[in-house]
Amino acid sequence: MKNILLLAAALVALPLAQAQKLVIKGSDTLGAKLVPQLAEEYKARHPGVSFEIAAEGSTTGIAAIIDGTAQIGMASRRAKPTEMSAAQAKGVSMKPTIVAYDGIAVIVNAGNPLASLTKRQIEQIFTGDVTDWSAVGGKPGRISVYTRNTSSGTYSDWKDLAMKKRDYASSSQKMAGNEQIAAEVAKNPNGIGYVGIAYIHADGIKVVPIDGGTPDKASVLSKKYPYARPTFYYTNGEPTGEAAKFIEFTLSADGQRIAERVGFVPLR
Amino acid sequence: MASSNSSTAGPGSFTIARRRVRFLGLSIDDCIRYFFGGNAFVAVIVLGLITIFLFREGAGFFAQNRDNLSVYRRAGLEFVDIMRRVETEHTDMTRDLFALRQRTLTYYLEKEKLPLAEANARLAAFDDYSGRFSDSIEGLRGFISDLGDAASATKTKFIVSQDQLEERNQLLAEGKTAEAAAVKIDEVNFDEEIRTLTGTLPLYKETSREFAREAQAVLDHPPQLPTPELTARLERFHGDARSFLGTLPGVEQELESWDWRRPVPLWRTVTSFVFGTRWLTASFWQDWYGVIPLFTGSLLVSAIALAIAVPFGIAAAIYVNQLASPAEQRLIKPCIEFISAFPSVVLGFFGIIFLGEHLRQLSNASWLSWVPGFPFSERLNALTAGCLLALLAVPTIFTLAEDALNNIPRSFREASLALGATKLQTIVKITVPAALSGMVSAVLLGFGRVIGETMVVLLCAGNRIAIPDFTEGLAVITQPVHTMTGIIAQEMGEVVRGSIHYRALFVVGMALFFLSLLINFFAQKIVRRYRLSIG
Repeated sequence: MKNILLLAAALVALPLAQAQKLVIKGSDTLGAKLVPQLAEEYKARHPGVSFEIAAEGSTTGIAAIIDGTAQIGMASRRAKPTEMSAAQAKGVSMKPTIVAYDGIAVIVNAGNPLASLTKRQIEQIFTGDVTDWSAVGGKPGRISVYTRNTSSGTYSDWKDLAMKKRDYASSSQKMAGNEQIAAEVAKNPNGIGYVGIAYIHADGIKVVPIDGGTPDKASVLSKKYPYARPTFYYTNGEPTGEAAKFIEFTLSADGQRIAERVGFVPLR
Repeated sequence: MASSNSSTAGPGSFTIARRRVRFLGLSIDDCIRYFFGGNAFVAVIVLGLITIFLFREGAGFFAQNRDNLSVYRRAGLEFVDIMRRVETEHTDMTRDLFALRQRTLTYYLEKEKLPLAEANARLAAFDDYSGRFSDSIEGLRGFISDLGDAASATKTKFIVSQDQLEERNQLLAEGKTAEAAAVKIDEVNFDEEIRTLTGTLPLYKETSREFAREAQAVLDHPPQLPTPELTARLERFHGDARSFLGTLPGVEQELESWDWRRPVPLWRTVTSFVFGTRWLTASFWQDWYGVIPLFTGSLLVSAIALAIAVPFGIAAAIYVNQLASPAEQRLIKPCIEFISAFPSVVLGFFGIIFLGEHLRQLSNASWLSWVPGFPFSERLNALTAGCLLALLAVPTIFTLAEDALNNIPRSFREASLALGATKLQTIVKITVPAALSGMVSAVLLGFGRVIGETMVVLLCAGNRIAIPDFTEGLAVITQPVHTMTGIIAQEMGEVVRGSIHYRALFVVGMALFFLSLLINFFAQKIVRRYRLSIG
């Protein structure tokens, strides 16, 4: 009886003793789909590893590395100078690793007859210089612009990538996430918005080619498609232990295949 | 306890024979008293602490915004923005021209039944004209864009120097004095930077006059339009364009008198918040924290909600209180009060999935096109949010209005009936007027309920940070808006703690706090006046 109890205790304790907990925080671009799926696959291969994933924005990911509350910080942007200096002050060296590329696609309602837009027209639409579809060769109608909310990394990335750092039109509507933008554009015949390419297969929307380029693997990797950005894992110095193995897995052929499946552009 | 003891106690002894248990010198009664008193007191303290927290976090905004505005001036962004006004107005004018082309095209296609290619060919002269008008700004635009880059660079330099300062402070806070001393801070010489900006003024004048000449030349040769109505529109455009060109010397004067050294007074930071018409954050150029777009959005949504909820709530209250049978009362009252049990996020979800979509489809029905604002294409707008908020306001208004009616002494009603008035006359002439102030305060509190609601407006109001275009008349109700509560919920999640944006959100919270304080104050005041009138 006593032996059985001991055995039971040992069985309970064994995974506990071995359990490696990997804390990953940061960008919702990475944390919504890609990293959880990578984690599932990784768990299947390495039993006993558990994950805590919190996707609340790039800022929280970088802050978590600086404060040492996570082993891996996810970010859809590079660390800012103030963040770098804050890290230095605490003796933390921020090391970025590119995970995959995230292309941003311009979407319109599936019923929109528009075949293509130019970079200049995209800038005009999102800044509000142009407010009617007929000005860019479409069917007459007031353009409804849907954007991410101001605290999203994509919100400022888009200004950088597509709007020459100008401000959004005040008539633009701020949506909570990619899905919401896709849903509104799908229901609004005059809608236009941008989403990560993981979301371009939603019903009722279509992707607009920019200067003839569509956001696919070849055009992103060759930098022909203008609206693509790298995504990062941040670690404190060279990653070690389980974090290093997880990052290695992410960059492996299998990891990159998962990235491609959820809509990222793999590194190779 | 006292009554049960008194029966057993003999005459002459105390009514309560048992010695009281004392704990730390307090009897049980005292303990209970202090317990309740203490709880009430804790509530007051917590409320006080919340208020203090709100003000402590928010108060820093005004100083930070002053820095924000003074950098805007010192780095010369303000100078460039004065020039930019010309560019923006010109863009607006080209948009007018475009709308005119649209009208003419529709005329050719629908009235004269021309094929598209033919119609476009007839518009060639107009296209040439509008193209030349819109190109006339090119020189000026390039010039302003260059200046903008220069001013932006100065601002970036300043921010970098601030970052270096922060780095030094961070190192000092960690006790690393040697490293802190090694941090080099690149001071920005604003005087020098600005001189390169203002030095371009003569060139600006030249470019601006060149633009005016070109635009004037374009305006002198207007194209022919097919109908008098369209020609009149073109004439109006010419008038606008001429008066726009007339403002150019004024801009030049403003630029000449502009001085980067003029300090930004503290009241400017308050007025730029209270009367600011732009809420613009995470900008590469300049952040603005003006509450007006959010405030008007909140008001518009609340007004729609009240326009729906007041008739429903008041009428239901009058019916239930005055006309309904007891069985009906037992059914209706709990039903209406049950509405407030809905979590607002559920309502919001319902709004996105069902109400918004169906309202939009309804708006596209041709027999409803007379309704102002119909048809609309955005399913998330003030109307959708207002309809749902009305649902939340009805229970509040209903319950309080019913209470007000209940408070009317029976004698009022009986006297009226005794004098031969019918039931309806009594309601219209006696009961409702007597309860009117109570009802007004019910509406005010309903307003307070609606303006403080967050989830529904965040999900359904459309989140467009712009002052609703009231020139469209009643159609304004179908525009997307953003609200004060919505912006806090949407942006608080990811702002950096202690940053100006973070504090600005707290100031919005303070504004909401004062607003509901004001609403409650008036509601109370009105009720009190009503009580006096009964006596």
